Amino acid sequence: MSDHDAPDPIDKAYAQAEAMLDDEAARAARRARVLGAVASDVQAAPPVSAPPTRRLSWAAGGWLAAASVAGISVLVALQFTRAPVVRKPAAPAETHIAADQAPAPSPVTAPAVEASPPAPPAVPQPRKSPSADVAVAPPLAFPAAPSKAAAEPVAAPQAPDAGNVQALIVTGQAAPPPAMRRMESAQAPTAQTSAAAPLAVPRASLHAAAAAGRLTELTSLLAQGTPVDALDSNGETALMKAIQANQPAAAALLLRHGAGLYRTNRAGVSAREMATAMDDAELNRALGLQP
Amino acid sequence: MEDDDAVDDADLLRAHGAGDRHAFARLYDRYDRACFHLIRRLLGAAHADAAEDLHQETWIAVSRNGASFDPAKASFAAWLFTIARHKTFDHFRRQRVTVLATAPEDDAAMTPDPRPSPLEQVQSRQRAEEIVAAVEALPIEQRGVFVMFSDGELSLEEIAQVTGVAVETAKSRLRYARAKLRQSLAGERPTHV
Repeated sequence: MSDHDAPDPIDKAYAQAEAMLDDEAARAARRARVLGAVASDVQAAPPVSAPPTRRLSWAAGGWLAAASVAGISVLVALQFTRAPVVRKPAAPAETHIAADQAPAPSPVTAPAVEASPPAPPAVPQPRKSPSADVAVAPPLAFPAAPSKAAAEPVAAPQAPDAGNVQALIVTGQAAPPPAMRRMESAQAPTAQTSAAAPLAVPRASLHAAAAAGRLTELTSLLAQGTPVDALDSNGETALMKAIQANQPAAAALLLRHGAGLYRTNRAGVSAREMATAMDDAELNRALGLQP
Repeated sequence: MEDDDAVDDADLLRAHGAGDRHAFARLYDRYDRACFHLIRRLLGAAHADAAEDLHQETWIAVSRNGASFDPAKASFAAWLFTIARHKTFDHFRRQRVTVLATAPEDDAAMTPDPRPSPLEQVQSRQRAEEIVAAVEALPIEQRGVFVMFSDGELSLEEIAQVTGVAVETAKSRLRYARAKLRQSLAGERPTHV
């Protein structure tokens, strides 16, 4: 093992940081969603060893069809008028067999399931939907998550006071999709007014900390409830200040807390446009404009 | 759980292929954190909202292609991270985000830091967020190597396999990543271009 293979305090610190930031409730919801999607996918796609079994099922289906025809003939002969009931078995019989066999053995010989789609119409995968995620349960009986997944309140926010409600809403948002970003820009004036009310001193501190790249102070202010997109007299956010002062780590931190990259200042210039003007690779990486 | 550790990853994947639903869940529980962390950090803050989808796509790909996994060629973790990394880069392509092949390494990052690291213990959530933000500010290739090594516990050989580079390159990226993190977390601005 070389010296680079040896553990480094930074490696350990990062692993600890990830562990500390892990949200067990989100993880449990993710687990349910992923395992549910995999189960649906397995059901929708036929097992790889399907060809022989499918022939078998067709053979069985044919036999059942013949039996049905014979039954119908007998009933017609007896002038029994409930024909629809008798006709039923033919189609469902096949479906039933296919459904039963879907999750059946697909041993090692299996080619990639993606390449064998003669299956019935795919069962829609439970893709994540923003609000219903937590409630989604896997359709099949995957085992329950390890007990530690049930515990949560690590990230439980403090009880919000009246002045901090806006802050919690703002900081709770993830980076918005493009459509939302456009809306965000359009709605900026409303948010500006509501965010500007109290917290004058923390707001000023937030801007100063962002411009100076003081990460500890920034996180502390945000944790106290200072709105991440609070505005100064020029209508500029702390993210804009961090960008103008070329503070990538501060900008990344603010972005992680939901700062709007597409908000504009009074001159109509967005934080993103400011970043583009800075033309700094590290800053762009921190803002996700460049991987 | 000792029973859980006793079963090989490849055996679990085979059992899943044979229709054992529990096997896949056990496999998932072993690697879901590391896999999600890798995807999330590679995406960075601006693309964080895609992490859940890519994570799901990765595990579906694992489920579908389990038969093609060969434990003689790679560990399951390396195979999984390869899929996760490809999914992430596919996302960048779809989003038309410019992916730089390898960011130029700056000289400042090469300088070893003789001072003792202040990072032995991450004692607060604030510090944890700072560390993660610093990791996300690394160039993507260095970021991937660092996350796979420190959180995913892959060896440099495995990381080289996942990223398709020589072991020496992976080693070099890890060294640069650590150096930049030291600078960043010590509050210094690297003297880059």
